[in-house]
Amino acid sequence: MATLKVENLHVSVEGKEILKGVNLIVNTGEIHAIMGPNGTGKSTLSQTIMGHPAYEVTEGHIYIDNQDLSEMSVDQRARAGLFLAMQYPSEIQGVTNAEFMRAAINARRPEDDQIGVMSFIEKLDEKREFLSMSEEMAERYLNEGFSGGEKKRNEILQMMMIEPKIAILDEIDSGLDIDALKVVSRGVNEMRSNEFGALMITHYQRLLDYIVPDFVHVMMGGKIVKTGGAELAKKLEAEGYAGLRDELGLNVHLTDEDVNSYFVED
Amino acid sequence: MVDNSVIQSLPLPTFAKVRYNSWQLDEMIPATDKATTPFFMKNEKNGIEVSGLSTTYQHLTEEMTAQGVILMSMIQAKTEHPDLVENMIASVVDKAADRLSAQNFAQFNTGIFVYIPENVQFDEVLHLTLNHLATSGKDLVARVFVYIGSNAKVDILQEMHTIGTQKTKASVIIEVIADSGAQVTYANIDSFGEQTTAFINREAEVRNHATVDWQNAEFNDGNVIIRLASQLNGEGSTSHTNVIGLTTKKQTQGLVTTILNRGRHSLGHIFQRGVILNRSTLVFNGIGKIIKGAKGSDAQQESRVLMLSRRARGDANPLLLIDENDVTAGHAASVGRVDENQMYYLMSRGISEQVARKLVIRGFMGEVLAKMPTKAAQQQVVEEIERKLKHEDD
Ligand SMILES: Nc1ncnc2c1ncn2[C@@H]1O[C@H](COP(=O)(O)OP(=O)(O)O)[C@@H](O)[C@H]1O
Ligand SMILES: [Mg+2]
Repeated sequence: MATLKVENLHVSVEGKEILKGVNLIVNTGEIHAIMGPNGTGKSTLSQTIMGHPAYEVTEGHIYIDNQDLSEMSVDQRARAGLFLAMQYPSEIQGVTNAEFMRAAINARRPEDDQIGVMSFIEKLDEKREFLSMSEEMAERYLNEGFSGGEKKRNEILQMMMIEPKIAILDEIDSGLDIDALKVVSRGVNEMRSNEFGALMITHYQRLLDYIVPDFVHVMMGGKIVKTGGAELAKKLEAEGYAGLRDELGLNVHLTDEDVNSYFVED
Repeated sequence: MVDNSVIQSLPLPTFAKVRYNSWQLDEMIPATDKATTPFFMKNEKNGIEVSGLSTTYQHLTEEMTAQGVILMSMIQAKTEHPDLVENMIASVVDKAADRLSAQNFAQFNTGIFVYIPENVQFDEVLHLTLNHLATSGKDLVARVFVYIGSNAKVDILQEMHTIGTQKTKASVIIEVIADSGAQVTYANIDSFGEQTTAFINREAEVRNHATVDWQNAEFNDGNVIIRLASQLNGEGSTSHTNVIGLTTKKQTQGLVTTILNRGRHSLGHIFQRGVILNRSTLVFNGIGKIIKGAKGSDAQQESRVLMLSRRARGDANPLLLIDENDVTAGHAASVGRVDENQMYYLMSRGISEQVARKLVIRGFMGEVLAKMPTKAAQQQVVEEIERKLKHEDD
C-alpha cells in the first residue's frame, strides 16, 4: 500500500505560474484519470511529481507515503515507487533497450543481488510478448528510430519490467491507432492490483473505454475543477470542456475555444 | 635512404590550436621488437595482427586467396610483391608531404599491406590489428597500405594498441586507394597507451563513384596528433567521415579532419563528437575544401564537444575553403554539456545520476558507435568508453 499525495501545489515554469493549487490523492489499488484541455498544466503536474528540473514548486507539497518529494532527487523518487510514462521519451543511441531496463531494475536491488541475465531475459520476453513487441526491439537502441506508437509501447514495457507502485501515464494514448491502444491498455490492466495505482493523463475519453478509471478529475486553468467517477468522462465527451467551464461558472480561457477541441489531436 | 637534412628542413604538419613541438615526434628510433603469440586476434576469418616486426595472426579464407586478395605484413609484402609495394607506397601520402610523414617514409620497418582486386566482395569484416611493442624503449614506425580495386566492396576494422609500458613514440601512416566504384567502410579504434606519443596520418584517395566512409574512434591515452583526409578525386566520389574521441587525465588529442572535393558531384560530410574530461585537451579541426571545377559537390561538417570538467580544454574549429560557386556547403560546431532531458529520462527509471551520466555520454557518441562494422567492435567501443570514463572523478 502506497499513497501519492499532492497538496495545494503551485508550480512555475520560467517564472510563469502554471499550477495554481492542485490537490490530489492516489492510492495503490486505484486508477485515476486527469482530463483537461491543451496547455492547462497536465504535463506540468506529472513532470513536477517526477522532479524535472525545469518545474519550480513555489507552494505546497507532494508526498509519497510520508516522504516529502521536495527533498528527493529524480532517481530517488523513482526508486521510492514512482514511474512516469512520458509524453516525449528521449532517444539514446548506443544504449540498448535491454541494457537500459536491466540498469533500471538493478538500481533497485542491492549491489550483491543484481538480476541474473537469464531471469532478466525471461521476464523481458514475457512482458514483450504480452505487448506484441518484436524480439529485436531489446537489442535496438533506446527509442532510437522508434515510431510514436513503438515509443508508447516501450514506456509501458518499462513500467511492466520495473513494477512501480504508482505510475503516471502522460497521454499514453496520443498517436496510437486502435490496435496499439488496445495493446497498451492491456498492459495497464494487467498491472491492476492492490499493489499498483495509476494516474492517467489523457485528452480523450477513448482511452477510458479500455482502462476504466475509478476516479476522473478535470483540470482547467491549473487546477482540478471537478472530480467524479468514470461517468464524468462521458459527460465531458458530450459537453466539451467549454460546456463544463460554463456550467461551473469558471473564468478560464481555453486554447482552442471550441467544444470540439476535445476531439482534435494535438 | 632519404637525406636526413632534407627531411628536417620540411615543415611540421599543421594542427591548429595544438602545441606539439615538445613531443619530439621528429626523432624516432624504429623498434625491432618481436612477439610470437597473438595479443587480441583469434578465429578471425579474414584478419591480420602485426606486433612489432612480427606477424602474430594471419588468416584469409581460401575463397579470398583464390580471388587474388593479398593480406600480409609489410615485411612479407616487400619480399613477395616488391614491385607492387614500391608502386603503391607514398602514392597517397607524398613522401615529402611534411617532416613527420617524410620521416615515416624513410624509417618505417613494419606495417600491413592489403590488396583487393576488382569486383571482390567481402561478406565479413576484414580485420587489421597493429600492436606497438613498447618493450625496448624504441618507437613504432609503421605504414599501412590498402588498395581496393574497382567495384570491390569491403568493411575494414583496424585497431592499434600499445603492448608494454615503456615511454615511446609511434608514427603510423595509413594510405587507402578506393578505385572506381569501390565501396569501403574503414573503421578505426585507436587505443595507444598512456606512454605512447603518436602521430597518425590517414589518407584515402577516392576515385570515380567510389565511397570511403570512415568510422574512427580515438581512445588513445597518450598525447597524439591525428590527421584524417579524404581526397574526393573522382566524379561522384563520396566520404562520410565520422569521428569520436574521448580524452582523459592530462593528455592531448589533436585532430585535423579534411575532405577535399576535387571531383564533380563529390560529397564529403564530416561528423565529429568529442568528450573531454579532467585536465585533458581535445581539438577538432574540420577542413572542407572545394577545388575550382568541382561543380555540384557538397561539403558539410558538424563537430561537437562535451566538456565535463572546468579544467578541460576543447575546441571545434570548422573551416570551409570554397573555390567553386556551384556547390552546397555548411558547418556547425559547438561546445556543450550533458543532455539534461536524457539525464532526466534515465534517472526517472531509478538509474543513479552517476550511471545515467555514463550512458548519456555514450549516447553522445552513439551515432558513430552504432556504425562500427561488427557487434564485437561496437562492444569494444562501449568498453573503451567505460574504461575512459572511470577517470571521470579523478
Ligand atoms: N518545459 C517548459 N518550458 C516552458 N513552458 C512550459 C514547459 N512546460 C510547460 N510549459 C507551459 O506550461 C503550460 C502548460 O503546459 P503543459 O503542462 O504541457 O499542458 P498540458 O499537458 O495540459 O497540455 C503551457 O503554457 C506551456 O507552454
Ligand atoms: Mg501534456
